[in-house]
Amino acid sequence: MAEDLKNKARELLRARQVDLVIGYKRASDGIAAAPCFIDIEGDADKLIWDAYCVYNLSVYLKDFRGKKIGIIAKACDVKSIIVLLQENQLKREDLFIIGVECPGVIDEKRLCFSDRQYQEVDRAIKCRPCASAVPLLYDWLLKEKEKMGKVSEDHDKYDSVRKLEAKSLAERLKFWEGEFSRCIRCYACRQVCPMCYCPKCVADQAMPAWFPKATGDKGNFSWNVTRAIHLAGRCIDCGECERACPVGIPLRDINKKIEKDVKELFNYEAGLNAERKPLLSCFDKTDPADFIR
Amino acid sequence: MENIISKKDLVDRIEGLLKDFEIIGPRELPNKGIFYQPIVNAGDLYLGDSFTVEPVKKYFLSPSEYLFKENLEQGAKPVEELPLPGAGRIIIGVRPCEARGLVLLDKIFDAEYKDDFYTSNRKRSVIVGLSCLMPDKTCFCTSMGGSPAENRGMDAILFSAGDGFIVEIITDKGKDIFGALGSDIGKEEKKAWELDKEKRKGALEKRITAPESLDGTFESVYWQKASLACLSCGICTYLCPVCHCFDLVDEERKKLKCYDGCAFVDFTLHASGENPRPTKKERYRQRVFHKFEYFKKNFGENLCVGCGRCIRHCPVKIDIADIVDKAPLTQ
Amino acid sequence: MKDWEPKIVGFLCNWCSYAGADLAGTLRIEYPPNIKIIRVPCSGRVNPLFVLKCLMDGADGVLISGCHIGDCHYSEGNFYARRRFAILKRFFEYLGIDPRRFQMSWVSASEGDKWAKLIKVLVEEIKQAGPNKLGGRKDG
Repeated sequence: MAEDLKNKARELLRARQVDLVIGYKRASDGIAAAPCFIDIEGDADKLIWDAYCVYNLSVYLKDFRGKKIGIIAKACDVKSIIVLLQENQLKREDLFIIGVECPGVIDEKRLCFSDRQYQEVDRAIKCRPCASAVPLLYDWLLKEKEKMGKVSEDHDKYDSVRKLEAKSLAERLKFWEGEFSRCIRCYACRQVCPMCYCPKCVADQAMPAWFPKATGDKGNFSWNVTRAIHLAGRCIDCGECERACPVGIPLRDINKKIEKDVKELFNYEAGLNAERKPLLSCFDKTDPADFIR
Repeated sequence: MENIISKKDLVDRIEGLLKDFEIIGPRELPNKGIFYQPIVNAGDLYLGDSFTVEPVKKYFLSPSEYLFKENLEQGAKPVEELPLPGAGRIIIGVRPCEARGLVLLDKIFDAEYKDDFYTSNRKRSVIVGLSCLMPDKTCFCTSMGGSPAENRGMDAILFSAGDGFIVEIITDKGKDIFGALGSDIGKEEKKAWELDKEKRKGALEKRITAPESLDGTFESVYWQKASLACLSCGICTYLCPVCHCFDLVDEERKKLKCYDGCAFVDFTLHASGENPRPTKKERYRQRVFHKFEYFKKNFGENLCVGCGRCIRHCPVKIDIADIVDKAPLTQ
Repeated sequence: MKDWEPKIVGFLCNWCSYAGADLAGTLRIEYPPNIKIIRVPCSGRVNPLFVLKCLMDGADGVLISGCHIGDCHYSEGNFYARRRFAILKRFFEYLGIDPRRFQMSWVSASEGDKWAKLIKVLVEEIKQAGPNKLGGRKDG
């Protein structure tokens, strides 16, 4: 299967259909995967495809604007490409999407804690509610050999959000302040997110600054809340932010709350249709107004 | 001086020390990781095999600290320096790589120029180390002149032995804390301990050789390729026991000194709008050169202790050790 | 704590709500002075970050007030605001921020009376909610 992938990459490069193929290679520890940038046919040997390929490679597309890029993308990754197309950040004709049918990737965080030997662990939590292993958009598809069902039947993707919603106001505040207190403002969540492409992030603006650069209740709370607000209607839950966070803040529980509300309030889901106008660039006469006095 | 102590004795001693000292040590937060936190119950201490996410550096070089503030009230001093920390504290569970990191940082903050915040934190802290039993796949301290069993930068160090620990006292500060604890180590036990130390050193799988000099490779296309995967976040810098770049910002009428990193896009942004390190290639090359070339030329050692945090926590598993190991020797 | 008075920040659209608030003044209707008004061209101009920053910097409550649906001076500004702040309202409550602290209203230029009543109710509600402690604790 990986051989088919390598052959496709070689073919694309040989025919000059793309300038670069972005995919996965084996990391230096021999077990995990790492992003791989191939511009010559010979290097296509490095490509791999397995459960360790967790990264959302579409975050690199903005670095190569103007070039023709072949990108290996799982169903979730393709959703972020769709959002980028929707927001005119990419040109469809510059992309050759090598879709991969994905049965779910591993949970890196739990991997680190299990015994130092990378054992077989469950698929990542973010994979469980995955509706379909087949990407919505692709130019070529690498099919999964075995017939695939859903990663996990019967999984409520808003389960942890609901649990938090059920808590009291004071409990929720305490919970979130506690989680944000560990934030070190490394901005990995932002850098790993394909949707965070602002040339000058609001967090980096000084004179005047929106919120403190200092790590402390005010700065940390403001940063995480601001990023979530800026992702409203755009986050497709690739889970990379939570995976990248070195201090284990449950970022998906924040983004999924907004995702849930956006679905309930406006019947909108991000990453499904590149032709549809972005959520906050439009409105509907039936938008709810019960909160307005 | 080495003693053998049981885990219970250690916990009891720490519980007793809580009265007089602030105690900081690793605690496990389920499903999140091991973090240095203030300890209120000695039983909460995690002295197992996994490593903390953040290094002990943050207790000496704070992620954000206020240096001075301005006062607008009548009669108040217009600029008031904020008080230096003074209360005694014990930091326990510090790995040899992190403690050696402090020794490296001393060369910058406690040398010709003495940074008051740093030096007062160093003075008031007792460092109790914890030798590593199980290095993980990203550790390479032995390649950087260190070892999982060494004690540079520490006042005392713990080695797990059976159900308890062997505590090696190194300085007077360490003696004051742990001197009276446990029983003297016997000859047989001492031999076993020496063998154990060698075994721990040997357990490291990852070995790399940093080149003597990277001089002459500055323009090499190697750095372009090595940096393609970098996301320009701050994880490797913030979690490194020896990275120390900082930013000075005016905030809420106070002068703030906070962490900064050469990986960030804006790190070298000038007021004119010019940025001499506009792409990842320049920034990643700078990171490697600072650690393995410039610091070595200025201070004689690599600015790296081989703790592996940068690799372990990099969101895209960039391996700086591997990159340095395979670096070209010429253009 | 007895003499604590809530500080409420109001973002009022120039064409309707600001005029409505002004009308309350012209009509000499009394209402609590706790609201600090910031005039914006349209409720659609209000950035959710304004609301967040107010709450983090010590405001006890934030109010956004604009034209009634269909009456926006710029035709659609308040439609965008309605959508944007529907999300923000629910999100803030999820984070543990008292929902009384962030409110939105449509007040037209002729509704001076409604404005005064609204502020009376708002100040009462925020007095019940108590002083805002968000972001006010140890920093750095």
